[in-house]
Amino acid sequence: MCKRASGVILIGMRNTHANRDNGGPAVQIAEHGAPAVQTVGLTKHFGHRAAVEDVSLTVPRGTAYGFLGHNGAGKTTLIRMLLGLTRASAGSATVLGLPVPAQRARALARVGAIVEEPSFYPHLTGRENLKVAAAVRGPGVRTRIDEVLHRVGLENRANDRVGTYSLGMRQRLGVARCLLSDPELLILDEPMNGLDPGGMLDMRRMIRTLVEEEGRTVFISSHLLDEVEKTCDVAAIIDGGRVIAQGPIDELVSGGGGELVVECDDAERAAGLLAGDTAVHELRIEHGGLRMRLLAPEQAGEINARLVSAGVVVSRLEPVRHSLEERFLEMTTRLEVAA
Amino acid sequence: MTTNLTVARQMVGADLLRLAKKRGFMALVLAVVMAPLVIWAGYQVIEHASNPAAYGPAGGIHHFVKMLDMLGIFMGPVAAVLIGAEAGAGDLGAGVFRDNVLTGRSRLALFLARIPAALAVTFTVIAIGFAFGLAVTFGFAGGLATPSISLILESAAWLALANGVVCVIAIGVASLTGSRPGTITALIGWELVLSPLLLQATTLGSARNGLLDGVLLFLKPGPASGAPAITMSVAVAIAVAALWVAVLPALGAWRTQTRDA
Repeated sequence: MCKRASGVILIGMRNTHANRDNGGPAVQIAEHGAPAVQTVGLTKHFGHRAAVEDVSLTVPRGTAYGFLGHNGAGKTTLIRMLLGLTRASAGSATVLGLPVPAQRARALARVGAIVEEPSFYPHLTGRENLKVAAAVRGPGVRTRIDEVLHRVGLENRANDRVGTYSLGMRQRLGVARCLLSDPELLILDEPMNGLDPGGMLDMRRMIRTLVEEEGRTVFISSHLLDEVEKTCDVAAIIDGGRVIAQGPIDELVSGGGGELVVECDDAERAAGLLAGDTAVHELRIEHGGLRMRLLAPEQAGEINARLVSAGVVVSRLEPVRHSLEERFLEMTTRLEVAA
Repeated sequence: MTTNLTVARQMVGADLLRLAKKRGFMALVLAVVMAPLVIWAGYQVIEHASNPAAYGPAGGIHHFVKMLDMLGIFMGPVAAVLIGAEAGAGDLGAGVFRDNVLTGRSRLALFLARIPAALAVTFTVIAIGFAFGLAVTFGFAGGLATPSISLILESAAWLALANGVVCVIAIGVASLTGSRPGTITALIGWELVLSPLLLQATTLGSARNGLLDGVLLFLKPGPASGAPAITMSVAVAIAVAALWVAVLPALGAWRTQTRDA
């Protein structure tokens, strides 16, 4: 399920949050048309500096997709290329199956996006700002203003000037503006930036609702690893302009297989039994037990069976749960060391 | 086609909304136009009331001609520059331009929508000033002659032309530079300082025919008001004005289309 190619960890697209937690339909890229976003070898150079280098991404429809990276890793540059705000130096991209920038206008008619931070006319009210935005988006869009204000919980402040809004309210108004054209895909650049914990929770819930209840695809760029882990189904990690891993959050966290801790009555004997097993890697004795990395999480059961059948008494067998942050730092550090 | 017209109408309405709802700005623009008119008229009324033998009535054709200069050459164009700069660079300044671009709407359409909205605001402000000027002209005429209906209509048209041209140029320059303060400084400096100085420089000869102020003074209806006389044909005057209106907005449109959002 996990293979490395050209320094990129490719992890199978399955078992998303939505599928796992809500019994929703599995993400079937091929069956439901083109992916929400697909890039092939996308590259952007500023002079001699590569801001984005050979990025190939596939964003499945109907998921919350996290695009993770340090500040300056190339996240916003990639988003700007997807939205046709800047031209790629090489490579290609499609948004909702339409090539950009060639069919940018058609693609963007079905996309709502916030790049960097949502900006508004501070002297206008929230409702008036949405009126201005609706006017550009097309006829009939104005009728959705009340609906989207209610959708983001701003109906009670809609007639206040935006200059009086908190950052969290402006972020929500930004999402409302995105929703005006009833988009299939939302691209949100750092939507959690500057939000307090309550604001982050609201934003997370809103994004999950957009995905789970409304079937939209939400592409979120962020450097807040914890928030992406809690919000997204699938993620890609970008570092130094290159995507170094992508896949479902669970599998990114587990590294495709996972780490396993085994406590038993005879750790040395157990280690000897597992030493030649091709499914077991990085086997070591630690605190009187065993710690190992497996190719696939399902192999934990086989390990248990082998030890028990050999007469080893297993008292604890537990997959090690890493945070996305740990995995992110591990991956980026590994690349730095390799460099 | 109908859809495009609807969207165009909506976009103009949206630009009008964002201009008109900027209350402090609108108050400033109105003050720029009205304050000199009110102060000047008030001064003349008081002067006449205090010594009718030495000072004639505040109204009449003389007041009308001066009022046209103020609205068409001095304070009117200053207001038009303020409005044009706000219309041309307001969305950039607020950071909303990027959001508009992200809708996939043509950038040329975004630029063009700025023009009718700014003109509507400019014409409204100038109309208020003109109405006040007419009230003083007729209300305090005493025994002096007053302008004819045809002169009033010609003057209204000329004011619309003079201020409309400046407003459209300001939109073009603001869209080109992306800077409201820069546009306001440059154009007001040009309108109030550099252009009048060049107009006075007789050594420039017929080259002064290329100055917008010269053209607008040439086209001004009614009796001359002491401004330097420039002679040219009406066709040349219209061509020069058209060139000013074409070139700078075209540059603004080009920059709107190529600007990094």
